[in-house]
Amino acid sequence: MSLSVTGLSKSEKTLSRTIVTQPFQKETYNAVQLNMAALLRGLRAGRALRGLVRVVTAPTATNLQSGGLRRGFHRATLRLQDESKSDKHPSSSSPTYHEHYQAHHAEPDLAEGPQDDLTSDPAAEEASRPNTSYQDQGGEQGEEYETEEQLQARVLTAALEFVPLHGWSMEAIAAAAETLGLSSASTGMFYNGAGDLVLHFIAQCNSQLTEILVEQHNQVQLGQAEPKKTADFLRDAVETRLRMHIPYMESWPQAMSILLLPHNIPDSLKHLSTLVDDMWYYAGDRSTDMNWYTKRAALTGIYNTTELVMLQDSSPDFQDTWNFLDNRIQDVVNMAAAAKQAQATGETVVQGLMGAAVTLKNLTGLNQRR
Amino acid sequence: MAASMRLLLRRVIRYSHRDINVTAAGAAGRSGCCWGPSTCRCSSDDAGDRSTHFGFETVPETEKAKKVYKVFENVAQKYDTMNDAMSLGVHRLWKDVLLHVMHPQPGAQLLDVAGGTGDISFRFLEYVRSQQERQKRRAARSMQTPSWGDISSNYSSSEDEVSPQESRAVVCDINKEMLRVGKQKADSMGVTAGLSWVAGDAEELPFDDDRFDIYTIAFGIRNVTHIDQALQEALRVLKPGGRFMCLEFSKVTNPVLSRLYDAYSFNMIPVLGEVIAGDWKSYQYLVESIRKFPDQEEFKHMIEDAGFYCVKYYNLTGGVVALHSGFKL
Repeated sequence: MSLSVTGLSKSEKTLSRTIVTQPFQKETYNAVQLNMAALLRGLRAGRALRGLVRVVTAPTATNLQSGGLRRGFHRATLRLQDESKSDKHPSSSSPTYHEHYQAHHAEPDLAEGPQDDLTSDPAAEEASRPNTSYQDQGGEQGEEYETEEQLQARVLTAALEFVPLHGWSMEAIAAAAETLGLSSASTGMFYNGAGDLVLHFIAQCNSQLTEILVEQHNQVQLGQAEPKKTADFLRDAVETRLRMHIPYMESWPQAMSILLLPHNIPDSLKHLSTLVDDMWYYAGDRSTDMNWYTKRAALTGIYNTTELVMLQDSSPDFQDTWNFLDNRIQDVVNMAAAAKQAQATGETVVQGLMGAAVTLKNLTGLNQRR
Repeated sequence: MAASMRLLLRRVIRYSHRDINVTAAGAAGRSGCCWGPSTCRCSSDDAGDRSTHFGFETVPETEKAKKVYKVFENVAQKYDTMNDAMSLGVHRLWKDVLLHVMHPQPGAQLLDVAGGTGDISFRFLEYVRSQQERQKRRAARSMQTPSWGDISSNYSSSEDEVSPQESRAVVCDINKEMLRVGKQKADSMGVTAGLSWVAGDAEELPFDDDRFDIYTIAFGIRNVTHIDQALQEALRVLKPGGRFMCLEFSKVTNPVLSRLYDAYSFNMIPVLGEVIAGDWKSYQYLVESIRKFPDQEEFKHMIEDAGFYCVKYYNLTGGVVALHSGFKL
């Protein structure tokens, strides 16, 4: 059978298996093949959506453990697959068995995706690492099934507790590594040092904010909450995001200065732009013209200035900062309204002038045709 | 002039070939720091038939350890001088880079294998001490206006102010002559605290498991007969999260520089060895052993095979020296 069965999902496999294991006859062979092809094409469309859903729900500890086990199986099955490739039989169950595992192998890879966003480490080692983890330590449990990025993310998350004491520095990371049972020398893994820690924290805050915004969005969809006005929504989003800095407020100037170092600027700008984009997206913005840029630029300006005001704020619960935020958002709203009005006025003025010009031409007789 | 040098070279080699069993091969390295006498005495029982390289010669595995031992025994006295002469002092920069990349935290335990004259260990202790002083200064500055809470907590925890574990460096070398020279250097420099000298074989380290934070081997692993065994031992004695660092001569990437390097190695270094230390063959061995060592990528794969993660290498001086680093996770 020439139909390729690689990369199919579980349900597609079961379907294909049930169809394929029926006794073959010449005349029904083609019919079966055509039916299966049509079915699989239909299922393939839904597979992409399901893949997305899996990505969102995959990152849990247990899933990753089983993902690691699947990866271990995958290495064994790869070797077997090479042997069985030569005598691939459509009706035999072994290739589909292998392809089943191969398809599932795609899932842990997808599951790794969101994890990588949370960590800020060079992905260069990732290519070589999975090969070695399962070659030698085949039977060992525990950390071998956790990738290096996950371990680094754990260390950085633990390091956040030591930031009030040591500041955003390698000492905080070293103290965290020791609490996790690793030697302090493992801080050498973080080539960017304190920059890694700050970027990790920012990524973590951004993903927390996204979760909150998604939750609100779902509630509005379900009808359990009222949709907010754009200005209020943005105000609440910015406030929620900035409140995550409060535990680290004393050392936040140090963190901001680390983010401004030249080698950190690309990463920090990337995080800022995705943050602002997310906020506007969940506020309902679907513009595709110049507005896309102006809106994000305005919100970036608001966010940055509010952050700076927060550094200097000593009022109870940062009330001054939220007032400042309110005023800035009001400014932008007013500016938008003013711009619209100016445009409308301009159009009317232009029309009036055109009318006056035509009238003048009529009066002076220049409009007559000879 | 080069031709006459080569004639001289050939004559000397022919002369010394008369008695091959004599301690041969000086291992002069350009940068000299390559003495890593941790050759293995690992002679396994039936290794008699297996042979390995000793410079460009082929010798039985059991022989290599002894030969390398003799090499370093000969050169121990003039080791540091030759290092400076051959590398024009650049070896100091290489070792400084090693320390900077290592960035040891206060309280770290270092095992310096093939440490010989102790260059890495001295630098390590100095680095850690200056870091501790910087931390103390920073703590003092922040405590200039202490709150009542700080003062009260100071009273209760005044004993724990000093870091609970002082950093220590253990220098391990198979060659007692090199260790002796190192000890003399330490005494003359006045460095005694936190330093110990142990005679041991890199393929069979006399330490327990999970003992050290950092394992370094500077210009020594190329002299080990079974490199993978040395890597396994490194993995064993390191704590979880510990770091393996290896400084070693490697393949030069730039072809022009490579030609110059070869010309310098084979023509200048043995001559310098003869003139300064009176030992041509040792330094001939050195230059040849550099050529027999695997290149950066291959060595990186060997380290990964031993079980280290996040393995990375840095090329120094255009690939003349490579610094490999891996973690035990």
